[in-house]
Amino acid sequence: MNTQTDIESKLKAIFKKVLDIPESEIVPGAKLDESLGIDSTEMVEISVVIKKELGIVLKDGELKKTFSFNDIVLILKTKNEGSKGCSSSSGSKY
Amino acid sequence: MEKIAITGLGIISPSGIKKQVFWANIKAGRSAVEKIERFDASLYPSRIAGHVRELEGYSNVSSRLLKKIDLFSHMALVASELCIEDAKINLAQENLKRVGIFMGNAIGGWLYAETELRDMYTQGRDGVSPFMASAWFPAAPQGQISIHYGIKGFSKTIVADRASSLMAIGYAARTIIRGKCDFILAGGMEAPVTPYALLCCNTSGMLTANNDHPSTAYRPFDKNRDGLAIAEGAGVLTLEPQSRVSARGAHVYANIIGYGTSTDAVNRIEPSADAVQLGRAIKIALDDAGLKPQDIDYICADGAGSQIGDATETKAIKDVFGDYAKKVIVSAPKSIYGNMLGASGVLDVITTVLAMEHNMVPPTINYETPDPECDLNYCINKAQERVIKNALIINRGRGGINCVLILQKP
Repeated sequence: MNTQTDIESKLKAIFKKVLDIPESEIVPGAKLDESLGIDSTEMVEISVVIKKELGIVLKDGELKKTFSFNDIVLILKTKNEGSKGCSSSSGSKY
Repeated sequence: MEKIAITGLGIISPSGIKKQVFWANIKAGRSAVEKIERFDASLYPSRIAGHVRELEGYSNVSSRLLKKIDLFSHMALVASELCIEDAKINLAQENLKRVGIFMGNAIGGWLYAETELRDMYTQGRDGVSPFMASAWFPAAPQGQISIHYGIKGFSKTIVADRASSLMAIGYAARTIIRGKCDFILAGGMEAPVTPYALLCCNTSGMLTANNDHPSTAYRPFDKNRDGLAIAEGAGVLTLEPQSRVSARGAHVYANIIGYGTSTDAVNRIEPSADAVQLGRAIKIALDDAGLKPQDIDYICADGAGSQIGDATETKAIKDVFGDYAKKVIVSAPKSIYGNMLGASGVLDVITTVLAMEHNMVPPTINYETPDPECDLNYCINKAQERVIKNALIINRGRGGINCVLILQKP
């Protein structure tokens, strides 16, 4: 996964699968609770699927229902870039 | 007991979903028990059941919600919708803090639970869906109904094995009498046709092993009976006080006029051989209703279909009814669609009120060989015309639970 567009596309697929909503509703500014009606168990499910399918771990509380879809894309992008940085440095250090 | 009216009903059953279809199948004594093909049950001693068909055709539950709930909650939601529509109640005009939900359920949402349990063992902790916590527990349907309609009143889920929903209905009626609710959605649901739930039922020894003839296997009171066939389904009623019924001109199917319960305190699975406590529950209900045994026109029996179950039920009826026991007409219509465990009581109530409406006693089917230990006046194999003014319904559960409800035609 290299680009923000790539992350966005994969996250959209995850949202579609977990929430069973049309893709047209998953727009960058869509707030999880207000626009997509997400409940707490769906939040957990999304985190679990992100970990399974994207290999990115989100800690408890890192996702908030007030976030927008784009907020999450940016969080995942940052974590994805951070993990690449860590793995290259750990490879040389250890 | 103050009379509490039954003003609406919703049925999800192997004998049909709409009340007209359901009654047509009951009246004809048309068995709905079939071989289980939903999963490989070939190694189970009992592998037949009553299955609900065409639920999707009546369901307005979104696919998004269906991912988060078990079948028993799904059926409860559909049955509630049908019931509220039947009662002609507009919830938008009600004080929802004064509306209650009283449901009975025996085993919870096991299809959801066992699937997640399997994933836990095969994939580890992360394999378990976060929806599991709210999907499986016995009060989940009560919660889902309340969320769907915004109902915020005094509510309960009763877990009392096969007596669960009858107990929930009795408790609901008493709750209305105490003035805690304006009206109550009362009933039950059960979805036991799953690999693990069926296994649990099998190990209890209460299921029939007559798998080669599913439609004739469940035969209460017959000499060759060997147990019950399970079934899935749901039933919901609206219960209202007389004042409210009069004020809104509601149609009344029947009134609940008596309720009684007791516990055998003998064995964790089998009922007590002396049937004394069941007899006491029957007397408590009759006293509560202000009736004598001779006032009862029809008994809807528990009809467990086991040797000891049916024999002890017969004994209790004889102990209480005396000579009249051989005259009062008795049947176990659950022999037609299967025993819905925790939901069997509400289906007994629905069958009985429809029987009152149509002036016909529903049959016990598959009765071929009389048993001297079960020698009451059974309505067998097809419905009989009879005016039913007062009906007595018996449900029993493992752990010695006895529950009796009395209905009266308005």
